[in-house]
Amino acid sequence: MAPRTIAPFGPQHPVLPEPIQLKITYEDEKVVDVLPAIGYGHRGIEKACELNEYPKNIYLCERICGICSCIHGITYCEVVERLWPVEIPPRAKFLRTIWSEMSRTHSHLLWLGLLADAFGFESMFMQFWRIREKVLDLLEMTAGQRVTQSISVIGGVRRDLNGEQKKKCIEVLKEVRKESEALIGVLANDYTVKARTVGKGVLSKDQAIALGCAGPTLRASGVCEDCRMQKYQAYGDLEFEPIVETAGDSYARAVVRARETLQAIDLQLEALGKLPAGDINVSVKGNPPANEAIFRSEQPRGEVFYYAKGNGTRNLERLRVRTPTYANIPSLLVMLPGCELADVPIIALSIDPCISCTER
Amino acid sequence: MPLMLPTIVRNLFGGPATRLYPFQVRDSFARARGHVEFDDNKCTLCGNCARRCPAAAIEINKEKKELTFFPARCIICEVCAEACRRDAITVEVKWRSPFYTKPVEVHQPKGKEKAS
Amino acid sequence: MIENLKEIKKDELLSEVKKYADAKARFVTAVCNDLGDKLEVTYYFNASPGMEMSALRIAVGKDEEVPSLTGIYLTAVLIENEMKETFGLKVKDIAIDFGGHMFLAQDSPVLPMLKEKKEAAGEKGGE
Repeated sequence: MAPRTIAPFGPQHPVLPEPIQLKITYEDEKVVDVLPAIGYGHRGIEKACELNEYPKNIYLCERICGICSCIHGITYCEVVERLWPVEIPPRAKFLRTIWSEMSRTHSHLLWLGLLADAFGFESMFMQFWRIREKVLDLLEMTAGQRVTQSISVIGGVRRDLNGEQKKKCIEVLKEVRKESEALIGVLANDYTVKARTVGKGVLSKDQAIALGCAGPTLRASGVCEDCRMQKYQAYGDLEFEPIVETAGDSYARAVVRARETLQAIDLQLEALGKLPAGDINVSVKGNPPANEAIFRSEQPRGEVFYYAKGNGTRNLERLRVRTPTYANIPSLLVMLPGCELADVPIIALSIDPCISCTER
Repeated sequence: MPLMLPTIVRNLFGGPATRLYPFQVRDSFARARGHVEFDDNKCTLCGNCARRCPAAAIEINKEKKELTFFPARCIICEVCAEACRRDAITVEVKWRSPFYTKPVEVHQPKGKEKAS
Repeated sequence: MIENLKEIKKDELLSEVKKYADAKARFVTAVCNDLGDKLEVTYYFNASPGMEMSALRIAVGKDEEVPSLTGIYLTAVLIENEMKETFGLKVKDIAIDFGGHMFLAQDSPVLPMLKEKKEAAGEKGGE
């Protein structure tokens, strides 16, 4: 038997933008065992949400994660609205959908770039990020800021789209779609990409369900589950089909995200076309009643679960956030053992780890 | 790599994709959130902004008639501007430049409470 | 209001969870609540495939032991460790036990999510 060595992967590692440590036990070049150690980014946001007044929590929840900040804010508003419950106007639902899909587009483009960077395809990384910049500009134009959009309030949204912005959005999104289609063609067919990703980190359908994975990690293993199937917000009025791949390897996860990028752009274009007229918010007075509610929505990384419990005061009794990465980390325990040491970065990246989400 | 060739050729002859920054500045979008400005002539120290601010960046001292603003805490969420009844707070499109020390702005508003 | 919520006793937990596992449901998460003298734990499952959600709720005293789900669903490792260190929920036999140091460090607040410690936790590191 070859001697076993334990090597730390992280907390600081070039492919990981955030701190997580994987203690990897390996024999020769084969990984035998892995133990994740987390806790480097714990900020106690759930506790802070209990001490804060409930309208201020929107901005706190947006800061759980930088990339999915828009959807975190929207989901928090949705769950608190369910405590009364409050019905929001249809235009606000469509606007929330448009901004959610816009942030999905930029998140997936960011991830595809990071994947290209992880296997050393630098020029593709630059190209993906160049496209992403256009989406960020759209976000800044419509919502006011590039990253933390802060567009959602309890009872609706804060900003409306005018005709000119709508036209500009459609124009830029079509451009982005054309450019990303070309690049995704390269990603899906290039032999260097395939050599690094096909068959790496295979997760079978049963394993994916038993490990409670979420989002693209789950759908790449052939499970057709997407929170948008619940038809919340405007998804009931849009043509939406979850994207499912069956291979369950890193390549399938990349393809799911790549196809979702294009799908997200289509959803935005469709929603912009169908945008109903009317108010963008309803005024909500008073404090949330003593009630509890859950809401799940689909983030770029998967299903985010919010639980809120009100107690009739200005503060919430309890807020619990289960982010998609939190559910996906245990899948590393199954995917990594048996792989080559050199494939660890790609496999770890293929679940799209977001540690500030995980630890809150 | 051959599939990437069209993009590479286009980039080779396409000119730079970035702006020559200090010489060529992109215009801010019309409703971008850059930084917060206070109008001392309109503010009546009602305290709406300070109560709503999620980052506790505004403090109001009614005895001293002072409004203290901490730009380093501000997250530019525009909540104060929406809460202000006198339109004394505006959100400008330009960002603040980075600072070395955390500045503190002290305002002494002169706005009069309307006799109603 | 939470749909499909079923309140059960602590002893029935594992057998109920086993039913979900046999039906190939996906474990979503658990939520712990401090009710003053008791802790209330709610386990959420998603009937796979589809987006149907159901929940199991148990209420236990603060010094009672709760069986671990990790024998059935390995993915409950993180949430059980988290409940153990933030609420002091006594979970028995977790597959990977981080020993109370998954999120918290040596000098962190003790059991920060409990209600009666609200003042103390707020001063130390709540906000």
